[in-house]
Amino acid sequence: MNPPFTLRQNGDTALDICFDATPGESLSRVIISLKNALELAIQRGEWPELKELIPAYQCLTICYSPLAAHLAGNMPLHQRIREFVADAVSAKRFPDTLEQADSSQVVVIPVCYEAPYGPDMSAVCAHTGLSQSRVIELHCKPDYLVHMLGFTPGFLYLGGLAPELECPRKEKPALRVAAGSVGIGGAQTGIYPQSTPAGWQIIGRTPLTLFDPQRENPFIAGPLDRIRFVSVNAQEFAAMEESAANTPPPMKESV
Amino acid sequence: MLRILKPGLQTSIQDGGRSGWMQYGIAKGGAADPLAMQLANSLLRNPLHHPCLEITLTGPEIEFGCDLSIAICGAQFDLTLNGQSIENDRGIPVKKGDHLAFGPLRSGARAYLALSAETALTPVFGSFSTHLQTGFGGYCGRALRTGDEILLRNCRRVEGRKLSNAFELRYAARPQIRVIDGVEAEMFAGTARELFYRTTYQASAQSNRMGIRLAGSGLDTEGLPQMTSSGLCPGSVQIPPDGQPIISFVEGQTIGGYPRLAHVISADQHLLGQLKPQDKLDFFRVDLDTAVRILQEKTAVLRKLTE
Repeated sequence: MNPPFTLRQNGDTALDICFDATPGESLSRVIISLKNALELAIQRGEWPELKELIPAYQCLTICYSPLAAHLAGNMPLHQRIREFVADAVSAKRFPDTLEQADSSQVVVIPVCYEAPYGPDMSAVCAHTGLSQSRVIELHCKPDYLVHMLGFTPGFLYLGGLAPELECPRKEKPALRVAAGSVGIGGAQTGIYPQSTPAGWQIIGRTPLTLFDPQRENPFIAGPLDRIRFVSVNAQEFAAMEESAANTPPPMKESV
Repeated sequence: MLRILKPGLQTSIQDGGRSGWMQYGIAKGGAADPLAMQLANSLLRNPLHHPCLEITLTGPEIEFGCDLSIAICGAQFDLTLNGQSIENDRGIPVKKGDHLAFGPLRSGARAYLALSAETALTPVFGSFSTHLQTGFGGYCGRALRTGDEILLRNCRRVEGRKLSNAFELRYAARPQIRVIDGVEAEMFAGTARELFYRTTYQASAQSNRMGIRLAGSGLDTEGLPQMTSSGLCPGSVQIPPDGQPIISFVEGQTIGGYPRLAHVISADQHLLGQLKPQDKLDFFRVDLDTAVRILQEKTAVLRKLTE
């Protein structure tokens, strides 16, 4: 896949590399491979002005220091980025990074879709015209592709939601939902790792901890991994939550 | 050691923030007003991003367990040390047992208390900053509470410096915030963009380090296409369907799906950290070259002050 791309300014400290292609697995492979290639170049010290790389469905956002970019000299940053991407996308730099991108795993996530864990389930049923059991069946069916992490620490952006389950975001974001809440927003589904404000319709909750900075791997999955939801009832949920609560909490501070 | 006698509304450890973790959803974080934090550190000849206490709206009362020097910059509180009035913007020696109290707030929203000591804390993802929304980093991942004791190492007295009067920080009750076009600026109708720049907005009480929610003329988002989520940077002025702007802030989400009408230039983002609920603000549009030039100018002034 060699999709055409454009660069767009994202505020005064970032550029977006935007690909003119439909979001999906092949485009995400291109974007993650490009991110990996840029990361390797950064590790080699080639891009001292770059601060962050944020992959998304259609864009790779590159945050930079405008002061360092200004000092980096001859060629403007966007021109150097353009050349790098053109080279990378035409596969000149991809072979060594594609392998990394291919080492994906399937992560199984238990979800309780019963009340009170899915406060917006009835709204989703009303909007889609489906029964609750059909919503659950359709939600648990696919292996979802992790396109990227973002929004809040450890949040996974998943692809593969059944079109029948699409639901608009809320008019006014909820100020707070419970950690582990599973939601649908537009054509997307996902799990809120923390108790945060949320614009999506919440249909269930997982007892798993998605983000734990003290864990060896703080994140439950990475880009290009797959996620499978498994429906559990309220008793199973409570048991899983309890066993998680009985695990000694990790050391938070060395003070 | 530093003992918290009263915590204040939201007192937390903050430094220059973390870098390289946005692709995992972890915002840069750090001081909401990094300029005030850097000035406070410079008065003690600390590294500019040395961890400080970020003090929000209602200040703490603190007892010091060792001799050291402190400096306070940013928001103006009525400050007392053992009952004697003290001032912002200078290095102040304190002794073991001294009692620092933050009284009523006079201007701004956040003060930074710098210490000539190292905090005995563990960095998380490369920073001492407290990520308050998620609860990690800093002191136990949270705002300080009564009775907390922060262990200090290498407490020392330093020859206090004073900031020249010309650079003492004073905060306008109604700041003008400069912005450039946001990523989706051109998707908005001309009338909506005009209304945005004509409106004096008010910071809502629901604002926090994640986002500054504004109240004012609601902007029409009718007819805007649903967006595909993409990388979101601090300073982005997003317009959700209810039309009331939200500025993504230091603990903001790293990916967003609301259209961005404008973007607060990075040189002015420190001013956002001094907005308190009900404060008014106006937006003024500049171009990208101007945004970079202002950043260069402000950086040069800071460099000169901290030399």
